[in-house]
Amino acid sequence: MAADFYAALGVSRDASTEEIQQAYRKLARRYHPDVNADPAAEDRFKEINEAYQVLADPETRARYDRFGPDFRQIPEDMAGQWAGAGRAGAGSGTVHFGDDAGFDFDDLFGGLFGAGAGRMPGADQEAELVLGVEDAYRGGKRRVTVSGRGGRDYDVTIPPGVTDGQRIRLPGQGGQGRGGPAGDLYLRVRIAPHPRYRLDGRDIHVVLPLAPWEAALGAGVPITTPGGEVKVRVPPGTSSGRRLRLRGEGLPNPRGTPGDLYAEARISVPAKTSRRERELFEELAAASNFDPRRTS
Amino acid sequence: MTHSLAVPPRLRLEVVARRSGLHPDLLRQLVALSVLEADRDVSGQLWFAPDVLVTIGRVQRLRAGLGLNYAGIAVVLDLLNRIHELETEVRRRSGPWT
Repeated sequence: MAADFYAALGVSRDASTEEIQQAYRKLARRYHPDVNADPAAEDRFKEINEAYQVLADPETRARYDRFGPDFRQIPEDMAGQWAGAGRAGAGSGTVHFGDDAGFDFDDLFGGLFGAGAGRMPGADQEAELVLGVEDAYRGGKRRVTVSGRGGRDYDVTIPPGVTDGQRIRLPGQGGQGRGGPAGDLYLRVRIAPHPRYRLDGRDIHVVLPLAPWEAALGAGVPITTPGGEVKVRVPPGTSSGRRLRLRGEGLPNPRGTPGDLYAEARISVPAKTSRRERELFEELAAASNFDPRRTS
Repeated sequence: MTHSLAVPPRLRLEVVARRSGLHPDLLRQLVALSVLEADRDVSGQLWFAPDVLVTIGRVQRLRAGLGLNYAGIAVVLDLLNRIHELETEVRRRSGPWT
């Protein structure tokens, strides 16, 4: 909860009632659980409403100004005797409301549909879950911290082969309801950029560096995939840009065929050549009539 | 072996009223104000799609949390749906990061 109701609404302590109302309306619109699915927005929305309930009423505002965060603890008749005693360090300390502190979020939602009419369900919330390519490949248990309600931890089981944009549903972990069920929390998966792997759905693209002789003669070369090392058979006469498909080596699919892994050949030459290497390349240059710039 | 046609599940007014806890008259009113969508059969009976309960939750929260009237709520619902569609489209077009 806010340390200070004025800070919660972003207004100064001498703000007019109009300014308070204006700030409240603006913030309430922004953080309303149906407008803002961020789990942290629910807390903020409650905080804004709590602050407004106190500051909108000149009497409670005066009491809050005079007695600070504990103003509810001071009986109203007593407050009268204290009048004129000066501002009792308003804003110092932190607000702490027990469960019986008089403010109840339910009240905000209550009554408007008529007494007892309607069980209001909580709103669904959505948070982002960033995964590495390897995490998405393997799946498995993962501890996820979601902001809101002081930060919540979940042990989420991620299905292997989860793809970018998929949502993992945590039933009943969304916004709180009033008399109705809580909403659901959705974790939207975002696959973080990887230095080597590029994802296209469940297909994985990776660059396969080849020595000129491997490309020309063909070779079996090892390649690292999220699932471990596999061997790629490079056919003789492979030029840069050729894509070799490794069927089923992409992201697994719990409900069907897995993605493929595409290894794109890229021929690399040594930046520095030894004398012997240079001789051999020169020999090759003299013996070959291959011209890559002439279309055959 | 005979198979019955798969009919999308629809909810009767009474069922929606029971599940949402709202009075049937209020639900009829919300349909008349086009805040909620419903089909009317030949006998005049209202039929709702199952996701109407999600919409009703939104209507309740928007009314309680922002004090909107029903016309305002209908506009907000339309806009939220359009934003959802656009955001989905943007995500689809921008593709994954990697």
